[in-house]
Amino acid sequence: MASASTTARNVDRILAARTKAKFGRSIIYAAVIAMAVFSIKTTIIDDTDWARLGSVANVLASAAEFLGVDWGLLPNLLEPAIETIMVATLGTLLGVVVCVPAIWFGALNITPFTPVTYPLARLMMTLSRSIHEIVWGLFFVAAVGLGALAGVLALAIRSVGFIAKMSAEAIEDLDPNPVEAIRAVGGSDFQVFIYAILPQVLPVIVGVVIFEWEINIRRSSILGLVGAGGLGLVFFRQLNTFNFPGVTTVILAILALILFGEIVSYYVRKAII
Amino acid sequence: MVSRTTAQARTEPKPAPREWRRFKFPESLYKWAGLMAALLFLSYSIVYLNIPLERFFNMFGRVGTLITDRYYPPEMEYVTEPDYLSSVFDTIQMAYLGALFGMAAAIPLGWFGSYNMTPSRRFVYPFARFVAMCTRAVHETIWAILFVTILGFGMMAGVLALTMFCIGFAGKLFAEEIEAIDMGPVEAIRSTGASELAVMVYGVFPQVRVAFTGIGIYTWDVAFRAATVVGFFGAGGMGWYLKRNVLQIETTRVSAILVSIILLVLVSEAVSAWARARVAKAK
Amino acid sequence: MSILSVRDLRVRYSASGPEILKGISFDVEADDFFAIIGPSGAGKSTLIRCINRLVEPISGKITLYGTDVLSLNSRKLRRLRRDIGMIFQEFNLVDRMSVMDNVLSGRLGYVSNFTALFRLFSKEDIGSALSVLDRVGLSDHVDKRADQLSGGQRQRVGIARALMQNPKLLLLDEPTSSLDPKISREVMALIIEIAAEYKVPILCNIHDVQLALEFCNKIIGLQDGVKMFDGPTSKMNSKKLDEIYAMEVL
Repeated sequence: MASASTTARNVDRILAARTKAKFGRSIIYAAVIAMAVFSIKTTIIDDTDWARLGSVANVLASAAEFLGVDWGLLPNLLEPAIETIMVATLGTLLGVVVCVPAIWFGALNITPFTPVTYPLARLMMTLSRSIHEIVWGLFFVAAVGLGALAGVLALAIRSVGFIAKMSAEAIEDLDPNPVEAIRAVGGSDFQVFIYAILPQVLPVIVGVVIFEWEINIRRSSILGLVGAGGLGLVFFRQLNTFNFPGVTTVILAILALILFGEIVSYYVRKAII
Repeated sequence: MVSRTTAQARTEPKPAPREWRRFKFPESLYKWAGLMAALLFLSYSIVYLNIPLERFFNMFGRVGTLITDRYYPPEMEYVTEPDYLSSVFDTIQMAYLGALFGMAAAIPLGWFGSYNMTPSRRFVYPFARFVAMCTRAVHETIWAILFVTILGFGMMAGVLALTMFCIGFAGKLFAEEIEAIDMGPVEAIRSTGASELAVMVYGVFPQVRVAFTGIGIYTWDVAFRAATVVGFFGAGGMGWYLKRNVLQIETTRVSAILVSIILLVLVSEAVSAWARARVAKAK
Repeated sequence: MSILSVRDLRVRYSASGPEILKGISFDVEADDFFAIIGPSGAGKSTLIRCINRLVEPISGKITLYGTDVLSLNSRKLRRLRRDIGMIFQEFNLVDRMSVMDNVLSGRLGYVSNFTALFRLFSKEDIGSALSVLDRVGLSDHVDKRADQLSGGQRQRVGIARALMQNPKLLLLDEPTSSLDPKISREVMALIIEIAAEYKVPILCNIHDVQLALEFCNKIIGLQDGVKMFDGPTSKMNSKKLDEIYAMEVL
């Protein structure tokens, strides 16, 4: 047993060490907060037109306009909702097709010519993920005109990055023994792919595609804002005619659609995997 | 198991006593039916959506001419002007604040929305899950439009829109992370008579701190991508410049802005990957 | 005079599920080292978790130092829990926290939320943490992270954490199952010494019958949620053991 005085000294030492550790951490917190305060000043305090905004009551009043549901709008929502789902589905499927070369080139263990094809695939994936769907939508509306096709293309391109990245990683992680086995019976590269690689990664890819489909419903619900049809267009129209309960109705419809997507994907996932 | 859908009707061998067929009565039928239904849905969708397939197939040439004629070369001088650069800076700040506020709200949301730690499984848990789902399901551009309508143009609307988006995004990931913890220490801390908050601070938080930091950095990264476009609907930042030039058909400027967005996102992705790797290594 | 009495305790995890404990009764005296033995799945862990209500029984009565445990509200339950130290099979330390913080977490029942949030433990708490760590032989490991220790050392941290509560009862949930035989013996010896020093009774559920016979003065044997034996260790014999473990042979 330590004597009382050593214990007391140890207590002081430990208390000092704990204070020091806390001090180090609080510097980080202080930096985070200082940056937040600075950002609040430039983005919120300086940039907001406080006079036009008016009092809190005014803001609450304009927010309250969104309360309520425009039931009359419901029948008009069915068709755009179906469109939204269809655009999301077609976009995802087309995305899967576009993905194939990206996956092939982007998995280090099967890419045909690493110094060229691998960076190319990585570039494809990054471009797809870094550009927002709104921008892709604008681009394709310019290319193929207004309508669902632009939306499908935008979603397809936007989906490539995530699906290809996850699938390529799955292929890189696969068990090499079956590949060797198929090679050993004299299989060609293509046969190796069909018999040894695909069976191993298919569950992962299917899971990723379903996940992406869910996200694409969310995305396709707003592509109407740039002219690609679906619920986004209705949303925009309600807003422009200042029918705020209608806006709420559209948002609720989008929520319902996404809930629907989540339920479907839950069951599909269970059935397939 | 591979689901193969190649034609089965090859030359049937003479019926042997021990027969093996790929076609097994009910399962294969379901598979075929499922495939047919999917194809039917696909073709019906194309008809329903009035998708002009010929436009799809000659699109590639047109996209090529579109890019070479109108979008190339990007007018890079435009994106180096101080006005634009300051909007880039604004965008970064908006993403920072949105991610910060969002995460501050997402931590309690993750706690309440994790099945193992929620204070009440019957009331608080479904409520927290519902909030997380709603904030995530509504697209960030819709949040931006709503806040612009209520608060007027400006970055405050953008910050709030990004906040809403980050609440759902980080809240769901936080909840999943808390659900994956080891419950042993939680039980131990609980058995000392600690309050639920103390159980969180001592039993849960040390276990998820690294993961939360990683999620936080990732949230910032995603928020930045979203921040580049919220301005499109009047919520401040670079998106506003994008919108103006799209409307004025200043195509070379649009392409310059797009190039700048891509570069910035690449940088933010690299920074976030580096920071996450460092956090994971430090543990 | 018994300090803990359990009467007709019944537990069921779901409304339609099977009964895990089918009416258990026993008494623990102030100087007992009380063992619960039985095959795995007999309900030993469930029984011990009922005492501090980490598991809620569906019926029965538990009295600890005159307090009716099952009727307490959540606030009073926390008060009760801080008087009951618990030591776990898997140690249940927070791996990423230092040994010191793990031991200090034993004080959480005594401090305010504010103290807990900012880890502002008092000098006295840190002092007693140091002397408790000294007592279990870990004074050289105070600043290490819990996951840097060996199994035996980790269980010693677990013991230290329980002692920080100034417990009036120690619950041991298979304290040695994750340890090798030699370390198990050392840990059990340490616990029995400490129990004598702190004058605290122990309720221990244990898989290793040899250890139970060696260290404990009273034993109850459980089989499939039913009490098969209740008495001093000296009354236990191999025939009764065979009865208790009959199911496991299959």
